Formats: sequence, structure tokens, C-alpha cells
Amino acid sequence: MTAVLEDPVEPVEVAVPARPRVFARGKGLIGLVLVGVVVLAGLVGPLLVPWDPYAQLPDANLLGPSGAHLLGTDDLNRDVLARLLAGIRVDLLISFTAVPVGALIGCAVGALATVNNVLDVAVQRLFDVLLAFPQLILAIGLAAVIGPGTSSVMVVVVFIEIPVFGRLLRAAVLKVREAQYVTAAEVVGARKAHVLRTHVLPNSLEPVLVQLALSMSVAVFIEGAMSVLGIGVSPPEPSLGAVLKTALGYLDLNPLFAAGPLVVTAVLVLGFQLIAQAANAARGA
Amino acid sequence: MSTTERNPVLAVRGLEVSFGPAPAVRGVDFSIAPGEILALVGESGSGKSVTARAVLGLLPATAAVRGSAKLKDRELVGAGEEELREVRGRGIAMVFQEPATALNPVHTIGWQLSAVLRAHRKATRAEARAEAVRLLELVGLPAASVVKYPHQLSGGQKQRVVIALALANEPSLIIADEPTTALDVTVQAEILALLRDLRDRLGTAILLITHNMGVVADLADRVAVMRRGELVEQAEVGDLFARPSHTYTRELLAAVPRLGHRDPASYSAESTTDALRLAEIVVRFKDFTAVDHVGLRIGHGEVLGLVGESGSGKSTIGRVAAGLLRPASGTVSVFGGDPVAARRDLGFVFQDAGGSLNPRMTVADCVGEPLRVHKVARGEEYRRRVAELLDAVKLPASYARRRPRELSGGQRQRVGIARALALGPRLVIADEPTSALDVSVQAAVLDLVTGLQRDLGFACLFISHDLAVVDSVAHRVVVLWQGKVVEEGAHHEVLRAPREEYTRRLVSSVPDLDRAFARV
Repeated sequence: MTAVLEDPVEPVEVAVPARPRVFARGKGLIGLVLVGVVVLAGLVGPLLVPWDPYAQLPDANLLGPSGAHLLGTDDLNRDVLARLLAGIRVDLLISFTAVPVGALIGCAVGALATVNNVLDVAVQRLFDVLLAFPQLILAIGLAAVIGPGTSSVMVVVVFIEIPVFGRLLRAAVLKVREAQYVTAAEVVGARKAHVLRTHVLPNSLEPVLVQLALSMSVAVFIEGAMSVLGIGVSPPEPSLGAVLKTALGYLDLNPLFAAGPLVVTAVLVLGFQLIAQAANAARGA
Repeated sequence: MSTTERNPVLAVRGLEVSFGPAPAVRGVDFSIAPGEILALVGESGSGKSVTARAVLGLLPATAAVRGSAKLKDRELVGAGEEELREVRGRGIAMVFQEPATALNPVHTIGWQLSAVLRAHRKATRAEARAEAVRLLELVGLPAASVVKYPHQLSGGQKQRVVIALALANEPSLIIADEPTTALDVTVQAEILALLRDLRDRLGTAILLITHNMGVVADLADRVAVMRRGELVEQAEVGDLFARPSHTYTRELLAAVPRLGHRDPASYSAESTTDALRLAEIVVRFKDFTAVDHVGLRIGHGEVLGLVGESGSGKSTIGRVAAGLLRPASGTVSVFGGDPVAARRDLGFVFQDAGGSLNPRMTVADCVGEPLRVHKVARGEEYRRRVAELLDAVKLPASYARRRPRELSGGQRQRVGIARALALGPRLVIADEPTSALDVSVQAAVLDLVTGLQRDLGFACLFISHDLAVVDSVAHRVVVLWQGKVVEEGAHHEVLRAPREEYTRRLVSSVPDLDRAFARV
């Protein structure tokens, strides 16, 4: 074997950019802007609006939109815009804490379960039970036990997300575990913990990141639905769902009451969904 | 068969294909006479498959095709979808590389043949059925195959069915894209014989696309060599092998490993202990016995070639030797101990170098992983060792920070070899390390492996289906067949003067470049 005709710099047959940078363009950008606008409104908005979300204003019962009250006032004489902006904070708080907590617990349980077959079957059946409930039925059931309130919305979101993330990570781990680079690490003599930490988990996390964005939108939706049903954020605390519930009672007086919370919810959910879609496209799925 | 330019079946003139700004085929001219077999050869990325697909209009919409490709009098470049559909199957048929995916798993062979027959002509069910039987017999399959499903057939039988499908509507040209690459050598020899026989009997012209020079030597009348989208040389097969005029063709031919071209290399045992000793190994997967009472031994510094066709159990033995798989019975000893305990002295090179490297790690991290796992070196010392390893496999230091996907196939395999050598192993197990690579890259990688083996003196279990490759690296050869050792001995004896019937069949099935020289 004498022939060496490999060029010193062999051509790279696959021209690869570092990573398809599609995320920050198109859908991903729109999603980020939509979510960003809502987050900004929640953070800065309450400082700009002169009204207190809890203050009952004299002679301002169910006023329509006007210069002083851009979205009008509600049945208890409170400024709707002020309540809406304060409500955004509550929703974001729920999304950005409950979803990661649920994801963390779900991923830990899902990953641990793959270690042992018996444990795996047990955990899978438990997830089956949780997933068998429609989300709102589960929400009503849990709220019946722990009572309504912001914290119960969070608990519900955590419970809904645990099996979702558990399943997702388990499937990804099982797939990656069959990859040849895992065998390559085993043949070197690497310990299970090393293989899991350096090879299996980093290559399994992509779908989890996508699901995070998707679950944020689910959390917003759950909060809205629970509050409208009267088992979510409890009065007088504002939230998107709470503002909507008040508005729904007076739709015949002025349909515009519902416009604020509906638009904000729609923008937030759409934004999260677009981010998830773009993230999914960026990972080449 | 001479180059008849009078009435070519297919005449391609100035064909250009580009994907966006990147040209894939840059002005290709060739023609095929009736009953002629033209081989289009080249390494991966040379544009040979793109050329064939452009002729059939099978390229994705992102491809821009210019030039001309005429099937008799019909222009195919720029033809409408309706016209191309008429041509496909009837004028030109295609045989694909992977017969398993070219057949529909939920329908019988007869159903699939009938469907193709009735797509282009009016025939009753019974007529189509009778014709299907006739086609199956034509490709050497029993008539009873008509009621079988693809999964009931072997790889070679499936490829025969695919050829029968191609022949169904009596095309004047068959485009065969790597028709034997997925098959074992003995099966490959049968399929090549079938194609040659069909050409002789039916006079069908064949455009054979392949990277395998041996297949070309066996089957083709004329050869067109492609490189980077251009046709560098076109000649009668005998002329090309005897007097290649282009440098690239010469290099390509020189890179092809050949049986019996290496001086007999012998290995003298210096110590009484063995690097690897397997005795009475049995591995079962459920009811299937993959390895059946196999015993083999490798001395210190010896290279043992393990050859066999797919399903012979050779990779399973590699996994057993590496301690990745526990045999049902039998003993494995690596340097006198358990393979799991000997991990520090053991390196493993995988067939699919890309798949064996973590896509999220840099080249340096991949190579240095064994050092980190065993905590042999850290800090400055670690970086120096990694740099040395990259240097040993002739990768530039600047590649250290790249990810595996930014490397070519050959470079990735170099990274895999560097990782296997990281701990200075005394035994390296290489499972088909070059079978996914182009010949010229394979030559360079084999060169590297033999050089390193000579310098570092590690023992090596070299697993391969390619007899010529094994002949060029191994001291001793073990031939496996259906999980059993058939023959064992020095490489030049087993592979050049085989004693056993099976080994003889294996050796004679290897498409041989030397035979092409003899045909001149």
C-alpha cells in the first residue's frame, strides 16, 4: 500500500455552516418580538399607568374605553388596563417558574427511569395515568384538593408538565443511548455517570428546549382557563384569566372589555409557539 | 464491443448541473451504444449519481440542469413531467443501490411486478402475472417467488427482483446506481454475472455507476472516470486499466487494494502469552446462533484479519473481544485477564467514524476523552498528548477545535484512530475501519494504520469483508462463515491459495483488477 493521494487538505464533502442560523430570522424573530413586547408591557406598563390595579375609583363603574381609562373600568370601578398589565406579571411568573420546575422534575424522573427496567415501567404507567386526564379535568381535580389561587395554578402546571417532559427526555435518552459514540465511550471504560453526563444528556436536550417554549404557551392557556372557571388566580388579584372572567360577565354592555386580555393571551401564546417552531426548525427536525 | 457513435441509446452533451451557486456536474459528454455497458466511476462527490439522476429528471427542484441528454431522438433535459414518466421504466429503468428500500414491504413480489407492467401497457391480471413469472425466471428466481414478500428474500434475491422490475417494460437502457455495493462479494459476483448475461441475451444497454474498480473491471465495456463534476477520462476498459492517460485515473487505480500484491508478511511470536485469546465462544441472539464455538488468538504485535460476509459473526466477535458483549459460553482473555479490566490497553476503531464521535464535542475533546476518563493527564500535559495524537494521525493542529461534522469521512476516521490510540493500547480492534471510505482515502487510512502498527507495535484484530484490504494489512487471516471458523492461516496462504471450498468461492468472487489487465 504505497499510494497516498489524499490531498494534505482533503475536501470537506459536506459544506456545513456552524449551525443553520434560521432561529433568529423569520418565525423565531417574530416569536421573540411578540413575547418580548408582552414581557416589556408587564415589566414597564404598571409604572406608566397612573391607576392602581386594586383601587376602586369613585364614579367609574363599567366605563367604556376613554382617554383616562384606555380599556375602561370594570364592575368594581377598577381600571382594566392597570389590572391587565399587573395580570401579565402574574401570568409570566406562573409560566417562567412552574414550567421550568415541571420540566426539571419530569426530566430527572424520565432520565432516572431509563436506568432500571422495573422503574421504567412503573414510571411510564404513572405518566400514563397523569396524561390520561384532560388538562382541565386534572386542574379542576387538583384545585378541588388544594383550593384556588395562584399557587394552585402553578401546582397544576407543574403536574401537567412532569409527564410531558418525562416522556420526551426518556425517548431522547433511549435513542441517544444506542448511538455509536456512547458505545465508543463504554469501550474506553467510561463510567455510566460520565457517559450520561457528557454524551447522553447533552444530545438529548434539544427537544426539551423546544418543548419548554411550547409549554410556556400551555401554562398561559391553563391560567386563563382556570381563572375563568373560578379555580385559578383568586380575586382581587389580577391575571389575564381574572380580567377576562370579569369582562365576560359584561360582554352585552361593551364587547371591548374582553379585547385586552384576549389580545394579550393570543400574542403570548402565538409568540411562544413561533419560538418553539423556529427552535425545532433550527435543530433540523 | 466498440464505441458505436452511430445510433447511441443515450447521448449526453455538455450536461451541467448546479445546486444554487455550487456546480455538481460541469459539462459532461458521453454516449452509450445499444447493448453496451458504460461504467461511470468516481469517488463520492464526483457527480456520477447526479449525472444519472439528471438524465431521468429525478433531481430535486433546487437543481438547475443545462445541456442535453438524448434518449434516441427524445430530449430529456427540460422535458415535462408527463413525458419523463413515459420515459422512466419504458425507455430507461433504474436499479438502485439498496434493494431493501427499493421494494414495497407490504406487497408481494408478483403484485409489484404486475403493477409496473400494467402501468405502461394494457394487460389483464392473469397476463401480468404470467409475465411476472417469466421475468423472475429471467433473473434466475424460482416462479414461486411471485407470492413472496420482500422480507422473505435475501439481499441478493431482492436485488434480482429490482432488476426484474427494471426489465419489466423492456427498456433500452438500464441505469444501475451502485447495484452491488450493499451486497456480499459472493452475491455481488452473481448479480454481476446476471447483468452481463441479460445484456448478452436482451441487448439492453447499461449505465453502471460505481466507485468499485473491481466491478468495473468485471462488467464494463467502456469506462468514464469522473472527478469533481468533470469527466477526466473515457476509454475502453482494457485500455483504461493498461494505459490510464490521466494522472487521477492512475492514482485511483493505484489506490485500489488488490489481492496478492503484498509480500508475504510473517509474524514471529516472541512471547508465550497472547494479546487476545478466544476459546469456544458461543453467542446467541434469541434462537439465532451468531457465533458458534469460535476460538482464535492474537500474539503481541500481531495483526489478525477476520474476514467473512455479512452475518458471519465477525463484528459480534469484535464486540465480544472488546468486552461489549458477554458470550453465552466460552472464555475471552485480553492479556490474560477479563476484557473489561483490560480497557486501558484496548483501542476500538468503528466503521462509521462519524457516528462514533459525539457531534457536540470538538475533535480535541473526542481524542482526549480516554485520557480524561482514566485521568492519565491533565492541564498542559493533556493538551500536549492530544496534540501529539492528532499529529500521529496526520491531522493539522488547527482541526482540534472543529466539530466532527466539519471533517470529511477520512478525517473523521483519523480522529477515531487517534482516540483508539490515546491510551497507548497494546490491542486495537478495528471493525471495518475503511469500508465507508473512498478508495483513495481508504488507501491513505490503511497506510496510516499499518505505519502506526509498525511503529507502536500493538496487536490488532482487523475485521473486514474486503479480502484485498485484509491481505494488505494482516499477518494472519481467519475466515468466518455462519458463525464458524472455516479456515485460518498466514494471509498469503489463505487468501491466495485457499484450501477450503468456501474460502475458494469467496476469493474467486472478488472482482479482480488483474483480470481486467488480462482482458487487454
